[in-house]
Amino acid sequence: MIKKIYLFAFAFSVTALFTLGGGIDSQNTDQEKVVLELKLPKPMFVGTPKNIRSPNLERITGKKRRPFYVPKGTLLLSLDKPVTGSDTEPIIGEMEFVTDGEKSGEEGYYVEFGPGVQYVQIDLEGSYHLNAILIWHYHSQARVYRDVIIQVSDDADFITGVKTVFNNDHDNSAGLGVGKDKEYIEVNEGRLVDSRGVKARYVRLYSRGNTSNDMNHYVEVEVYGTPVK
Amino acid sequence: MNKKTALYGLFILVVLGALLFRLIQLDLRPMHHDEANQAVKFGILLEKGEYRYDRTEHHGPSLYYLSLPFAWVASGTSFSSLNEETLRLLPMILGVGIILLFLLLKDGVSLEAAVFAGIFAAVSPAMVFYSRFYIQETLLVFFLVGAVAAAWRYTRTRSPFWAAASGLFCGMMFATKETCIIAFGAMLAALFLTRISLKKSVRQEDMPDMPKISHLLIFLGTGALVSLLLYSSFFQNPKGILDSVLAFGSYLGRAGDAGFHSHPFYYYLKMLAFSQYGNGPVWSEALILGLALVGGYAAFRPLTNGDSVPFFLRYVAFYTLLATAAYSLIPYKTPWNMLPFYIGFILLAGYGASFLLRISKKLIFRIAVILVLGLGLIHLGMQCYRANFKYYADSRNPYVYAHTSMDFMNLIQRINDLSPHHPDQEQMLIKVITQPDEAWPLPWYLRGFGRVGYWQEVGEAGALANVPLIISSLDKTSQLQPYLEDNHLLEYYELRPGILLALYIDQNLWDTFLQKKKVN
Repeated sequence: MIKKIYLFAFAFSVTALFTLGGGIDSQNTDQEKVVLELKLPKPMFVGTPKNIRSPNLERITGKKRRPFYVPKGTLLLSLDKPVTGSDTEPIIGEMEFVTDGEKSGEEGYYVEFGPGVQYVQIDLEGSYHLNAILIWHYHSQARVYRDVIIQVSDDADFITGVKTVFNNDHDNSAGLGVGKDKEYIEVNEGRLVDSRGVKARYVRLYSRGNTSNDMNHYVEVEVYGTPVK
Repeated sequence: MNKKTALYGLFILVVLGALLFRLIQLDLRPMHHDEANQAVKFGILLEKGEYRYDRTEHHGPSLYYLSLPFAWVASGTSFSSLNEETLRLLPMILGVGIILLFLLLKDGVSLEAAVFAGIFAAVSPAMVFYSRFYIQETLLVFFLVGAVAAAWRYTRTRSPFWAAASGLFCGMMFATKETCIIAFGAMLAALFLTRISLKKSVRQEDMPDMPKISHLLIFLGTGALVSLLLYSSFFQNPKGILDSVLAFGSYLGRAGDAGFHSHPFYYYLKMLAFSQYGNGPVWSEALILGLALVGGYAAFRPLTNGDSVPFFLRYVAFYTLLATAAYSLIPYKTPWNMLPFYIGFILLAGYGASFLLRISKKLIFRIAVILVLGLGLIHLGMQCYRANFKYYADSRNPYVYAHTSMDFMNLIQRINDLSPHHPDQEQMLIKVITQPDEAWPLPWYLRGFGRVGYWQEVGEAGALANVPLIISSLDKTSQLQPYLEDNHLLEYYELRPGILLALYIDQNLWDTFLQKKKVN
C-alpha cells in the first residue's frame, strides 16, 4: 500500500513538474518580446573646433619603439640604390628621394604618386637576407596610409618567388589578398617591419592613398639585411 | 535697346549666374562640425516642434525657423530623411537674395554700380562659399543689406511700409546672430558720421530727413515683435527673450578670450588680398578690394564746385570702415565672420567700377578699364569655381576652416556598408567615445541609426567587448585596446586635418561583411 502511495506521489510529482515546467516554458515563449530600450547619451553641442592648417609634428599615439634586434653584421642595404615605381612621373619629387637617406617631414623631401594603388620598388643590386624594413610615408601630419603591402622577390617583375612580409589591406581593396597586419599612424620614427631574414633582391612597397588625400607618398625606405653566404 | 534696359538685362543674367554657382552640387562638401550642430538642433525643431534658445551656443533662432518650410517640402517632419541639399537651400537662396536687394539701392549708388556690385557678389569666392554653408552668416548679411536698403527706400519715399520693412530686417538680424550688435553699432555710427561730414557738401534736397516719430515707432515695434516671437519660440519659452540679451555677456567674453580662434587684426584683409597654403594655389579677391578703394576715394574725394557726393555712398564707406575695424580688432575670428563687412567692400567696389568707367573719358582708358574688369572677373570666377567645386574641403582653400575631411565620408560609407550585415541592421549599437569637438559631424551622418550613444570617457561607456561598432578619438585608443584587441578590427579615418578617428569593427561582423563581399 505504502509502495503504491509512493508510486502515486512520484508519478504526481513528475506530472506536476512537467506541467509546471511546460507552463513556464510556454509562458516564456508566448510572452511578447520587445526591444530593450537603451537610454544612450546624446552628443554634446560644442562650438567651432580648432582649425589646423600647419603641419602637426607631435607624436599622436604610442610609446617610443622598443629596440629591435637583428643578426650581427646587418647593414643598411638600400641607401642610394635604384628606385622604380608604378608611376614613372611622380607628381612631386623624385624617385631617388626614397633611398637618399633624407627623412625630414618637411616639404621637398617626399615623392608623391597619384591616386589608387601605387608602388615603389627598390633594387638592392644583389640578394640578401632581409632583417628589417623601415618606412616613412609622410610624417608631418597624423595620417594613415591605406593598403600598405610589402613584398620581396628575386624577380624584378614580381612574378615568381614573391613573398609578402607586411599586408594591412584587410578588405583586399588593393587586390593582392587580405592582410592581417594592422593599420598604423605615421610618426617621425617610421614603421619598422620585421622581414625575418627572408632572401630577396627586390623590395616592393604598395599603398592606396591615405586618410588626408588620395595620393601616395614616400619620404624614405630603409632595408636592412645581411649578405647571403 | 537703351542703357537702362541693357543694365537690367545684365542684372538678370548676374542673378542667374549667382544662382548657378550657388545651387549646383550643394551636397558636394561634407558637413562642417558647425553645420552638423545646427542641423541636429534644427532636427529637434523639425521632429518634435521644440526649440529653446541657448545663449551659450548656436546663435539665434532664425536659421531654424526659416529652414522649416524647405524641410517640410523635401522630407516632411522626418529628420533622418533630411539631406544636406535641403538644409543648404536657405543660405543659398538668401545669398542670391542679397544681390536682388542691391536693386533697392540703385538710386543711392546708381544702377550701374548696383549691377557691378551684383556681379562681384555673384562670383566672389567667399560670398559663394558661405552661401553654400548651413550657418547663420549669409542670413545675417541678407538681413543687414535688407535693413539698410529698406531704410534707404524709406528716406526716398517716407513710406511707413519701408520703415516696417527695415524694422523687420533689423529684428531678423537680431534673431540671427549675436554679432549683429557690431553691425548695428557700425550702421548707427556711420549714419551719424555721414550726416556730420556731409552737412555742407550735399545739396539739402539730397540730405535725408529725420524719420517721423510714428514711423520710428513702427520700425522699432516691428523689429521688437519679430525678435520677441522668435526668441520666445512663439511664446513657448519666454525666458528666451531675456536670454537673447544676456547672451551678449557670454559672447563679449568669447570675443576677448578667443582661444584657438584668436587671429591677428590683419587676418581678414590678408585672407582676402592674398592667401597661399603649402603647395596650394594663390587666392585673391584683390579686384574687389582694389575697386572698393576706388569707391572709397569717390566717397571721400575733394569736391569741386557744384559737385556732390552721394549720401548713400559715403554712408556705405563709413559703415565698411567701421565694421572692418571692429571685426578686425576683435581677437576672435573665423573666416565667415568677415561677411558683414565684406559686403560693404562689394558695394563700394561696384561704385568704384562704375566711377572708373565714368571718369575714363578717352576711349583708350575706357577700353583699358573694361579689359582690367573683364580679366579680373574671369580670375574671380575661376577662383570661385576652384573654391566651391575643387578645393571645397581642402585646407589649402582659405575659406575652409576646421572643415570635415573627405576621408570622413569613407568612415560613414564603411558604417553604411557594414550595417546590412548585422542582425540589427540600422538598430545595431554604435558607441562613440570622444570629446565633443571630435564627435561632430557624426550625429548628423548617423541620424538614420537608431542606437547611437556618445560618451566622453571609456569608463562611462559600459560594456564594450560585444559592441558591433565603436568610434573613438585617438587619445582613447590605448584605453580601448585591452578590451577590443582580440575581437575587433581597427581602422583609422581622418575627421579633420591632423585629427583621426578610430573605428573598431566587431570581428564577426567584419568576417560576415568580407564573406558577402567575396560572394558578390
